[in-house]
Amino acid sequence: MTQELEHQFVTELEQNQNIVHKVCSLYTNNRDAHNDLFQEITIQLWKAYPKFRGDSKFSTWMYRVALNTAITLYRKSKKQPKTQDFDSVVYRIQSEEYDPTEQQQINLMYAAVKQLGDIDKALVFLYLEDKNYKEIAETLGISEVNARVKMNRIKTKLKAILNP
Amino acid sequence: MIDELDLLKKDWQKRDSEMPKLSYDQIHRMIWKKSSSVVRWIFYISIIEFIVPHLLYLLPSFRDGMNTDISGALGIQPILIGLSVIQYGVAIYFIVQFYRRYKEISVLDNASNLMDKIMRTRKTVKHYVLFCLGMILIFFMIFILGLYFSDNLVESLQLGKEPDMDPARFKWMVIGIMSVAAIVFTVVMGGIYFLLYGLLTRRLLFNYKDLKRMEG
Repeated sequence: MTQELEHQFVTELEQNQNIVHKVCSLYTNNRDAHNDLFQEITIQLWKAYPKFRGDSKFSTWMYRVALNTAITLYRKSKKQPKTQDFDSVVYRIQSEEYDPTEQQQINLMYAAVKQLGDIDKALVFLYLEDKNYKEIAETLGISEVNARVKMNRIKTKLKAILNP
Repeated sequence: MIDELDLLKKDWQKRDSEMPKLSYDQIHRMIWKKSSSVVRWIFYISIIEFIVPHLLYLLPSFRDGMNTDISGALGIQPILIGLSVIQYGVAIYFIVQFYRRYKEISVLDNASNLMDKIMRTRKTVKHYVLFCLGMILIFFMIFILGLYFSDNLVESLQLGKEPDMDPARFKWMVIGIMSVAAIVFTVVMGGIYFLLYGLLTRRLLFNYKDLKRMEG
């Protein structure tokens, strides 16, 4: 029984691991920290898996656990270097229709997002993942109106970071 | 600005191929690893806090201090026994409370509720620690009062031979040492606790305030 559950879980996580990697890439600055957070999220997902009823999609359920782990449960074990050595690997430019100004803008935006607080990052993450405000509000446990207000504030904050 | 964030969104969606890929086996190995989450640490530290005051009895000097002969001679034994009963009663209450709070914590909750529950669990432990620190001070105070009202301190403390000084001076010296010990002990215990928790939940507290500010 446990083995079956294990197999099912690992298979589903393997297929959906991008969600977790994306969370890790937002919240950490180097490969060690990335792997560390990935592992903690995996442990939390596995612990909660027996309660996953399948009434929502596995991926939907993952967003909540992954973000909760990143902003609430996770303890940064080692001091993270301020330099973003991992970014150069993860945020590699791979656009076919390469537009230097557009790409530059995108890179600047990524750098700005990484400077945001943990909660703000969670909102941006869900927004980038194309979640609507209702889902964002439910995941964070705030009202929909506040989610919108907060998102607007983040946009202003990003603008300030980009144009100091 | 909206355009820029939407630009980012478009790029973000394309980034799947750039993400690291872990194999089935790599993920499988991870699921049995030990969690190092804040909640787990709060749990460990709480267990230590419930045990440590009792470990003190293993120290010879502390055991002697609580020695029934001495407390009997000082006439404070019934009070100490009464206080111990209260202390154990309250400790059991806190253990039950803590366990209930701890069980309530679920990673499936929304972020706000999850943080609320962790903070409540942390608060339960905090109250318990404050209670323990208070009890330590009370124990010391009763002991000091016992010393103060003792007619023959040398005999009560079972020192054997008379010290080479005025008995009244000797009494005040012992009381002074005990008072300093009481304060130092309480401050050190409290300091360790608040430092541990402060460091452990600093980031959590920061995010908690950030999220609550949003609602306020």
